[in-house]
Amino acid sequence: MNNDRIWILQARKLSGEASATELKELDHLLLLSPEAQPIITEVSIHWKELPAVDADFMEATWLAHASRMQQKGHPIQTDEPELNTDNYPLEGSVISHKFPLKKIGFVLFLAAAIISVVLLLLPTQQKPIAASALAQTEVITPKGSRTKIQLPDGSDVWLNAGTQLKYNKDFENGNREVYLSGEAFFDVVRNPAKPFVIHTSSMDVKVLGTQFNVKAYEEDLTTETSLIKGSVAVYLNVAPEKEYLLKPNQKLILNNNALANQQLMADKQPLSKMDLSPVVSIQALTYAEASETDVESSWTKNILSFEDELFPDVARKMERWYNVEIQFRNKKWEQQYLSGSFEKENLTQALKALQYSTGFKYKISGKTILIY
Amino acid sequence: MNANSAQHTEGSIAELQYQIAMYEDASAYKSLFFILFPSLQNFAFSIVKSRVLAEEIASDLMLEVWERRKKLMQIEHLKLYLLVSAKNAAVHQLKQENKQARFSIEDLQVEFVSEYSNPDQTAELHELENSIAAAVKALPPSCQLIYKLAKEERLRYKEIAQLLDLSVKTIDNQLAIALKKIATAIQSGRSEKNIR
Repeated sequence: MNNDRIWILQARKLSGEASATELKELDHLLLLSPEAQPIITEVSIHWKELPAVDADFMEATWLAHASRMQQKGHPIQTDEPELNTDNYPLEGSVISHKFPLKKIGFVLFLAAAIISVVLLLLPTQQKPIAASALAQTEVITPKGSRTKIQLPDGSDVWLNAGTQLKYNKDFENGNREVYLSGEAFFDVVRNPAKPFVIHTSSMDVKVLGTQFNVKAYEEDLTTETSLIKGSVAVYLNVAPEKEYLLKPNQKLILNNNALANQQLMADKQPLSKMDLSPVVSIQALTYAEASETDVESSWTKNILSFEDELFPDVARKMERWYNVEIQFRNKKWEQQYLSGSFEKENLTQALKALQYSTGFKYKISGKTILIY
Repeated sequence: MNANSAQHTEGSIAELQYQIAMYEDASAYKSLFFILFPSLQNFAFSIVKSRVLAEEIASDLMLEVWERRKKLMQIEHLKLYLLVSAKNAAVHQLKQENKQARFSIEDLQVEFVSEYSNPDQTAELHELENSIAAAVKALPPSCQLIYKLAKEERLRYKEIAQLLDLSVKTIDNQLAIALKKIATAIQSGRSEKNIR
């Protein structure tokens, strides 16, 4: 009995390649080995099953393609009304109606004018680290992990995911300066004689002894300093002569994007009315409902927390927290405001919870998550 | 969906092709996109192994279909034509990334569960389907791809051979091997159940 011959013929039959003679031969072989019949039947059933298509994901992919066609000069209009929302203007307006920008009320418009004057000098360079052989200590946390360290002066520093903290060798001799890219929570040992300074690419924070959080990721739109206890002074790199003093439970937000935009405008033409977005604002810290912990420093307690934040901002936090990449396939969700707090949840549980309150869909393929 | 609907697809591709070529029918183009895009992207992915690049390749090809819609009727077997184009674009992409790279049939990465398949359905695959999926995954990449092209894309042996630069004889053998492995998986799955 030639088993292999059966499979050759069966494959040909299923693929529509078998001739009439071969079909007869197959029938004959199966008569000779009836025990093979049930499995042949099951394989045939499996062959005919095709995966059902996820219509929503297909539609999202189509929209991405249609807007790409438009970009390349081949706009395509189908008759269906939903496709008129190529750039989602309709849905956008619905969303903004549903989710008003609550926080505008809190925002203090500070010093925008002063800063825009100085903008022509906008430095983007990092603080020059003396090329002279000053040995540096560097602590790096990869995405997906957090850590806590103690500096030589006894100050505690919690480092959030995707963060780099550097300090010079002379830190031990009382030069309390660190360089931060990413997010860190500081509990600084008080020493009025030796102020503690944190340098970021867009602001410096100077303290005597206190607890506060600095969030300065290069990829984020804002750089933020949040004060829990004590007092800190913040100096923006664009206007270092001005000192911003924070009180406990306040945070200073520097809008890096507005800076970049204004610089662009300043190069070309006088500032227009469009430019009124606040560059710097001081706000109250955010507390989630019925929570004692402020959102800003909750990560030090291993809680990923956000309150009324735009989905793309939340996505950046989740990317660092879970070490993944999140892509939007439906612009509608980029206008969505989210609140949430995750402690022990894994990525799938967190996505499911957010999905439950909003209705987006997602797909995980490897380290990439598609939101649609 | 069953074999009949897949055969319909062949016919409906030609039908849509005609609508697009003659009437610049955008809705027909969208339907065509729904039928072809996942196939093109999945196939390109098996070569470039990047979702983003594969999507770009598939999107470019579909764009070309619209751009050249007036001459669309000149293409006899559109699906195969586009799959061959997808392969060429993907191999070109590989060469650009690494000038020495040569496309090898053994260097494929085939995804059993397509991004476009319904997650609700795939999440609830029962045991039997899981063991079939595992059996397919255990096949050598080229064998997996041949199986997928025959089963899901309904391509003929000659067409698969042309697409992958293999002989028809190889397709014949590989497909028989794939079926036999799947049969073994089904049988062992069933005997496990009997033991319980």
